[in-house]
Amino acid sequence: MAVALAVTIGLSGCATPPKDDPEAMAAFIATADPYEPLNRGVFVFNLALDKAILRPIAYVYKGAVPGTIRNYVRNFMDNLRTPVILANDLLQGEFSRAGDTLVRFVMNSSFGIGGIVDFAGAVGINGHNEDFGQTMAVWGVGSGPYMMLPFLGPSNPRHAVGHLVDFLFDPFTYYGETEWGIGRLAMRAVDNRAVRYNTIDELERTSLDFYAAVRSLHRQLRNDEIHNGVPSTEQPLPMMSFIPVDIGDQLAQPKLSMAD
Amino acid sequence: MIFRRQFLIGAVLALAVSLNSGNARAASADDFIRSAGEKTFQSLNKEMTDEQRMNQFRQILLDTFDLPAIARFTLGRYWRVASKKQRDAYVGLFQEFIVQAYSHRFKDLSGQTFEVKQSHEINSRDRLVLSEIKIKQGKPPIRVNWKVRRRDDAYRVIDVVVEGVSMSVTQRDEFASVIRQSGGKIDGLLAALRRKTGQN
Repeated sequence: MAVALAVTIGLSGCATPPKDDPEAMAAFIATADPYEPLNRGVFVFNLALDKAILRPIAYVYKGAVPGTIRNYVRNFMDNLRTPVILANDLLQGEFSRAGDTLVRFVMNSSFGIGGIVDFAGAVGINGHNEDFGQTMAVWGVGSGPYMMLPFLGPSNPRHAVGHLVDFLFDPFTYYGETEWGIGRLAMRAVDNRAVRYNTIDELERTSLDFYAAVRSLHRQLRNDEIHNGVPSTEQPLPMMSFIPVDIGDQLAQPKLSMAD
Repeated sequence: MIFRRQFLIGAVLALAVSLNSGNARAASADDFIRSAGEKTFQSLNKEMTDEQRMNQFRQILLDTFDLPAIARFTLGRYWRVASKKQRDAYVGLFQEFIVQAYSHRFKDLSGQTFEVKQSHEINSRDRLVLSEIKIKQGKPPIRVNWKVRRRDDAYRVIDVVVEGVSMSVTQRDEFASVIRQSGGKIDGLLAALRRKTGQN
């Protein structure tokens, strides 16, 4: 009975591929969202949760805590991410960016008073983000299908596995109190939500299909992060490709040429 | 021998002319974005009412963007199967939708420093112009890339890519989803656009 139920839910969670229409099929592959009905359900759940808990907390945080203090908090947490960013810079063979990460850490931890002031950014060494999901993409691993994860939001298998590996890269996973680690995660979530407060409101207000808009933005932003902000007309070929890139990933690249 | 020399001079001249026109084109695509950007940032200020900002934004959009081309792109594969009537209705609704959706987002950008960094050719008629908006000291600037198309010696913007997010690609993806959700019917998208822009 339970198995039958699970199978039924599993099947109803799958969108039917439009096999008889080649153009529709190409679009289906490019969207890389075979579990769309299920994902939409999780999206509704996440939105309700956001409106009930995270959004109100972010609103209070944004309103009650002065911008300068919020910047200190963000800079401090960014500085704590250094080991993860550095490891991924190196794994991607980005030695110049690894150097930036290291110099930033030394400068911000000292002149930046333990990381609360972005001293390096002020002298022109801007921060950047890296994670193991991006590293795998650079190595040629495909993204896999789009997944709307409960609580965590838009993702895909490559992105999700990347988070897990980053967690293992992070020295604070092994040293430090568990409560402290949870507090750090919660603070990160509230700060991220506060930074994007107006953007998310505006996107929801203006979009015709909020779910589809979020899916498109996630794909484009990840793609931009993976290529370190270099527009696709300038991108070199992938460094190594020992694992085949799946077709959905290739088709999902925003096309630069525009059909007339 | 003489023939050969003439041939060489001719070839060098042809090359010089083509290089020169290439340079001229590069400079003017950059200039086009520079002046459009300055116009945008100067004309939009925080004291404006939403109505005024929207009208100002509409004017800039009509002057600098190739809206029919963007409309075609954003309808994607459905453009070919749309009837003349549907296409006309769509282009009109699309313009109004873009004005309403995006004029708000420019509110926070007024009075910021806008700088064209460089540009390069995408193909024979399109260029990508890279620019930056400086928010404040110590914060990384916002990357804004403009895809510019030349037609009849005039430039028009065909896409804006902010921090890696393309306006055209985002709208195309969203519209395709709306059409799919309405059982593949373009009229479903037209109805949604009418509702959103308050035209029903």
